[in-house]
Amino acid sequence: MLDLFFHEDTFEKCLKCNACVVNCPVSNETFDFGGPKHLGPELKRLMDNQQVIDDKRIELCTLCGNCDISCPENVHVSTLTAYAKAIHSELSGTKFRDVVLSNAEFVGKLASAFAPITNLAMGMRPVRKVMEATVGIPADRLFPKYRFNHFNRLYNKKTASTKRKVAYYVGCYATYNAPNVATSFVKVMEYNGIEVVKPEQKCCGVPMFANGQLKQGLKNANFNIQRFLEYTRQGYDVVVTCTSCTLALKKEYVSFLQTEDAKELASHVYDADEYLRVLMENGELNTNFAPREEKARYYAPCHMKAQGIGNPAMDILELIPGYEIQDTGAGCCGQCGTFGFKVEKYDVSMNIGNKLAKTVNDVNAEYTVTECGMCKNQLDQLTDQPVKHPMEILAEAYLVGDKVLANK
Amino acid sequence: MGERFETEVVVIGGGMTGAGVLRDLALRGIKAILVEQRDLGHGTSTRNHGLLHSGARYAVRDEEAAIESYHENLILKKTVPGSIEQTGGLFVKVPKDDDSYVQKWLSSCKNIGIPAVEIPIEQALKQEPYLNKKVQTVYQVPDGSVDCFTLVLDVTADAAAHGAKVLTYHEVVDLLIEENRVMGVRVRDAFTGEEKEIFSKLVVNAAGPWVGKIAEQVGIPFHIINNKGMLAVFSHRFNKQVINRLRLPGDADIFVPAHDVTIFGTTGINVEDPNDFSLNREELEGMLEEGKKLIPSIHDMRLIRAYSGSRPLYQESSTNDSSGRNVSRGMALIDHQKRDGLDGLLTITGGKLTTFRLMAEKTVDLVCGKLGVKQTCTTHLEMIPNRKAKGFFNEVDMAPAAKQKLIHWAGTNATKIEASLREGHSSVVICECEQVTWAEVEAAIPENGRFHLGDIRRRTRLGMGPCQGTFCHHRAASCAVENGKATIEEANWALQQAILERKKGMGVVATGETAKQVQLMAAIYQVSLGMKEGEYEHV
Repeated sequence: MLDLFFHEDTFEKCLKCNACVVNCPVSNETFDFGGPKHLGPELKRLMDNQQVIDDKRIELCTLCGNCDISCPENVHVSTLTAYAKAIHSELSGTKFRDVVLSNAEFVGKLASAFAPITNLAMGMRPVRKVMEATVGIPADRLFPKYRFNHFNRLYNKKTASTKRKVAYYVGCYATYNAPNVATSFVKVMEYNGIEVVKPEQKCCGVPMFANGQLKQGLKNANFNIQRFLEYTRQGYDVVVTCTSCTLALKKEYVSFLQTEDAKELASHVYDADEYLRVLMENGELNTNFAPREEKARYYAPCHMKAQGIGNPAMDILELIPGYEIQDTGAGCCGQCGTFGFKVEKYDVSMNIGNKLAKTVNDVNAEYTVTECGMCKNQLDQLTDQPVKHPMEILAEAYLVGDKVLANK
Repeated sequence: MGERFETEVVVIGGGMTGAGVLRDLALRGIKAILVEQRDLGHGTSTRNHGLLHSGARYAVRDEEAAIESYHENLILKKTVPGSIEQTGGLFVKVPKDDDSYVQKWLSSCKNIGIPAVEIPIEQALKQEPYLNKKVQTVYQVPDGSVDCFTLVLDVTADAAAHGAKVLTYHEVVDLLIEENRVMGVRVRDAFTGEEKEIFSKLVVNAAGPWVGKIAEQVGIPFHIINNKGMLAVFSHRFNKQVINRLRLPGDADIFVPAHDVTIFGTTGINVEDPNDFSLNREELEGMLEEGKKLIPSIHDMRLIRAYSGSRPLYQESSTNDSSGRNVSRGMALIDHQKRDGLDGLLTITGGKLTTFRLMAEKTVDLVCGKLGVKQTCTTHLEMIPNRKAKGFFNEVDMAPAAKQKLIHWAGTNATKIEASLREGHSSVVICECEQVTWAEVEAAIPENGRFHLGDIRRRTRLGMGPCQGTFCHHRAASCAVENGKATIEEANWALQQAILERKKGMGVVATGETAKQVQLMAAIYQVSLGMKEGEYEHV
């Protein structure tokens, strides 16, 4: 049984100003959601050491974290809404579909093992119609492709001997859906003389938190913390290419667990571009990029914004000679991890997404750059523009740069 | 001269005592009119802890008050269930408090019959995680939490249902006297200034801290000690039960859970003016320092406001006790015919919120004797309709927090609220802190009455939470205008009054978040809405 009386007292600071409500992508689309202020700090105030309130509207919270970013009082709104989700699941149960969706790692393993078939089936209209009717996954929702040659088959290095050493937290998406992002990252690090290891790891837990499976998510959290601490204590830095996983390792583990171990690990965690920026600031970054006469637009995932580290992807990509990149300044994509895969949330997801699509189309560029696989999924569905991860662009720029250098 | 009324008994004061007397009179079939200078419960009745005493607090020092309290505690739990939460209470001994008091207290409780059961410290800490981990002994007693707002409203409403009449915002300007006999009262309508006369056989002075002022009007010397106590409200309800400090009653040793907040107090300073509701920062800081011994994290918790009220303590002979702690909490019923040779006037004062019913019973017994009425008291048996709403309210599809509040609150307005909710948009929450819907606000606005946010607050809890009405006041005012419940001028006036009143209580606790809240409130009302800084008229 989950401890429903969790300790989190930032709710006391809420001035009821509504900044979180105004910045909540879901509250902007529907009145059916109670809003982050009510379902976060307000409910916690009513529940603290008193009766538990189960509000089913919390299902509409995507845990995007825009509430946290907007709060002038630093109330941990999304931590509180995550607990509201956990309470709701505990008291009202969780749909079978949501349990499956929350186990992204298990789904990834299974789906990639039968990748060609999975991808084929997920592209078949009749199959999808049946899925919508039986488990409630909307037929029109694009599904990310799974890769038979997933990253776990490709890479298994466990020790490094370079000066800087990186323990790579890959995440489910880069492992099973986008191994190219993972291999690109390893190459980018190699070009900087840094060896990358892949410690044993489990799903970061973000999809579990979002589906009220807090207990399971924290089990994974503790597993990851212990495995990665073994590395950080030997001088490794933890680097992540998925912004949601990064946020989990940096912030969510600390908020939920409040343990010294969680805090210790968090202090060693970097987003991949943030890490490159650190190298740059220390004069260690290899800047031998081949010039690229390209125009790109950058879309910042909510979980990137929530880290409060500025815009590291653009900081690094702008170092490529001739490369032009512009921030779309767009809000939430609406896919929000597993949220957009639920039939009853599909309209809200699409309405949020359509605003993003309009902004993307307004910025003249050849393709879109973003770190998050789920944002990419929404962009793939709503725009006809290719979507790339910064690591893919950097790896190419280094590769061509290397060739140019070799030819000289 | 305006209207004239005739009745059998006039009750002065719409506080708990007056309301109790009015209901008892009505139940015994005696015609009565209650007059109150402001809203019901304007004075001490809503400026207290809201503690339903088990009597344990007074067991050692004031046995009579303790016996009365325990007796009434049991009666009120049965007869006014809608306004009482049976939270139970803890008496907690903290290090350095007098050990010998514990045994004295225990044997006094035993003698009186107040059940005080020792509970293991781990159990107490589990129930009350905010309690000092170093507590030494914990006893459980049948204390409770009283909603003094609903209590005074419901008791008065029940009296009205039995034929009594109530005039609020009517101040007594004169007692009508003919040949050593009080013939009635002259009152003035606070809004229109119109004066009215009410003729009666008897006048009961139940004006609380103002009893002396009333007596003065007929030249009777009447000494009342107005013992002002300060109370502070925490932004959330952190304790499940009443928490008392197990020591000789002193300042700042009680925490009472009240709806969604915790009320902490109190102090005792004798004041001259019954209208003295002043608040003092140093007094508050002294309280917090004491309170820390029970609740160590007290300084980390947000205070949302403070308020003060005066205990009208009666003592025949004058006293030098400036704290008022040594004056009996017992009641005083004075027949001015016997005391001063003035017929037709009784004064009932002293006592406790917990003993209001007994005070009323004794008063009305005396009234009956004077009027030759044979009816005996039934208020210890007859229930006041419960506030708990059933049927529709359990099924209505609305936000759980607001729904829960309605289920416990709808009470006598249930029919109006239900009709409004069935119509549509009124389930919208206007006050988010206290989960007040427009349906409740609408039901609390009197037909043809003044739009007054303070009155609405006392009837719905609008604006009683952490933001203190920063957001709900303008929402309620604009909804009232949109729905034809108030004119723009009336709404503006009500807003101005309400904001000034809220600010007063916030000011003294305004550090940290509450200081920011005050600023935010000023920015919204004075800057964005262009409201002028004005004087609070206190009506």
